[in-house]
Amino acid sequence: MDNSGKEKEAIQLMADADKKVKSSGSFLGGMFGGGPHKVEEACEMYCRAANMFKMAKNWNGAGGAFCKAARLHMQLQNKHDCAVSFIDAGNAYKKSDPNEAIKCLNAAIDIYTDMGRFTIAAKHHISIAEIYESEMVDIEKAIAHYEQAADYYKGEESNSSANKCLLKVGAYCAQLEQYQKAIEIYEQVGTNVMDNPLLKYSAKEYFFKASLCHFIVDELNAKIAIEKYEEMFPAFSDSRECKLLKKLLEAHEEQNSEAFTEAVKEFDSISRLDQWHTTLLLRIKKTIQGDEGDLK
Amino acid sequence: MSSDFETYEQDFGTITADVTNKIGRIPKLSGEEKTQLVLNVDKQLEEVRELLEQMDLEVREIPVQSRAMYNSRLKSYKQEMDKLEKDFKRSRIAYSDEVRNELLGEDAGSSENQLIKLREERAHLLDNTERLERSSRRLEAGYQIAVETEQVGQEILSNLHSDREKIQRARERLRETDANLGKSSRILTGMLRRIIQNRVLVFILGAIILLVIILAIYFNVRGH
Repeated sequence: MDNSGKEKEAIQLMADADKKVKSSGSFLGGMFGGGPHKVEEACEMYCRAANMFKMAKNWNGAGGAFCKAARLHMQLQNKHDCAVSFIDAGNAYKKSDPNEAIKCLNAAIDIYTDMGRFTIAAKHHISIAEIYESEMVDIEKAIAHYEQAADYYKGEESNSSANKCLLKVGAYCAQLEQYQKAIEIYEQVGTNVMDNPLLKYSAKEYFFKASLCHFIVDELNAKIAIEKYEEMFPAFSDSRECKLLKKLLEAHEEQNSEAFTEAVKEFDSISRLDQWHTTLLLRIKKTIQGDEGDLK
Repeated sequence: MSSDFETYEQDFGTITADVTNKIGRIPKLSGEEKTQLVLNVDKQLEEVRELLEQMDLEVREIPVQSRAMYNSRLKSYKQEMDKLEKDFKRSRIAYSDEVRNELLGEDAGSSENQLIKLREERAHLLDNTERLERSSRRLEAGYQIAVETEQVGQEILSNLHSDREKIQRARERLRETDANLGKSSRILTGMLRRIIQNRVLVFILGAIILLVIILAIYFNVRGH
């Protein structure tokens, strides 16, 4: 009862605000200097209406209202407010219409980059990428946005946020079989964190992932790569991951898929392998079995 | 009469004791000693039989009233003698433990004992194996937990790092904002000063103009 009442109020407000905007367009309104004042009032009314739509859970309506408010702000040359309204619109549309949301967020990002606020722009690139990840499942675009975000973060010297984005890019690239790119990313991140006392405990994880990608491409590459990493980062050779990799290399050389499965099972019994790792290992295993059978 | 009987009784007692002793020893011996002992025991048994016959005659000469007691005693002695003879016969063909031990070696004991010992040892070993397995399972669980802890630690550390950067950036921005605010407050005070200056100027000019107008009117009136 309360919510539907709010919705009616909101629609009323929208109508009022529309009238105000139209009226201020006429010559007389501009003459009396009340023009800008009126537009501001209309802006505010749009925002209030949008909030009421939100309360009534009418996301589309809320998004529309915020968009109109943003355009008015643009007229008034209030870039900050404009961008904020676009973001609000994007958030509202997230729950109902992903496409619209992405449009609004893109507009906001343009404004922010114009103003030179790259950090916030990067944050919103990540939001867009997440939408592509979850609702629309367009991995390519998601990768593009994550990359953009990582670049902006690097420009602003926030290396750990940049690393976070890069890792996601790497994971998706490997899924899409763009192994070369994934290898580069993981190696880069690994070398970056090696020296940092806080983050060096995660370095071996990254080297492990890079080695797996190398492995899928070519076994010899993997060997060379593992040696290189061991040289760079001695702690890597003590880790269980490195031992697993060596066993896998042996199994691959001997084309022995049973030893392969054995080694993987042993590792899994101590610390579970997650989805990404299992997919890659499965691909590697298939190459072993593919080599064995001479049919394909 | 009865004293004769008692003497016979005492003799009977000593001889039977001796015979029992010898019968006990017979199985452990062999060869020369055994045959000698056997002959000895034979002779003693003969003596015991003669004693019994004499006791019998004595008892018959006792008046009927007290015969019952002596009769019963005599019967028991006869039974004892029979038993001794049986034991004697058995001992001559009995096997003793000693011979068995010699054959089977020193600590052998019986095969029953061996089985029991083996079973005990087996149970002991199984127990130990179970204990070992339990401890290795616990160690593995401990290792798993340690690895999980390490992973959690990694995540926490990377979160901390990114938070650190955010805080640093926020601090920088705050300092900038502070500087900007200082500048704007200075500009505002400058504006205020200028406003005051302008107002003062306007008042002074207004006062001068008023003065000039009053002077002009005054001179005009004076002139007429």
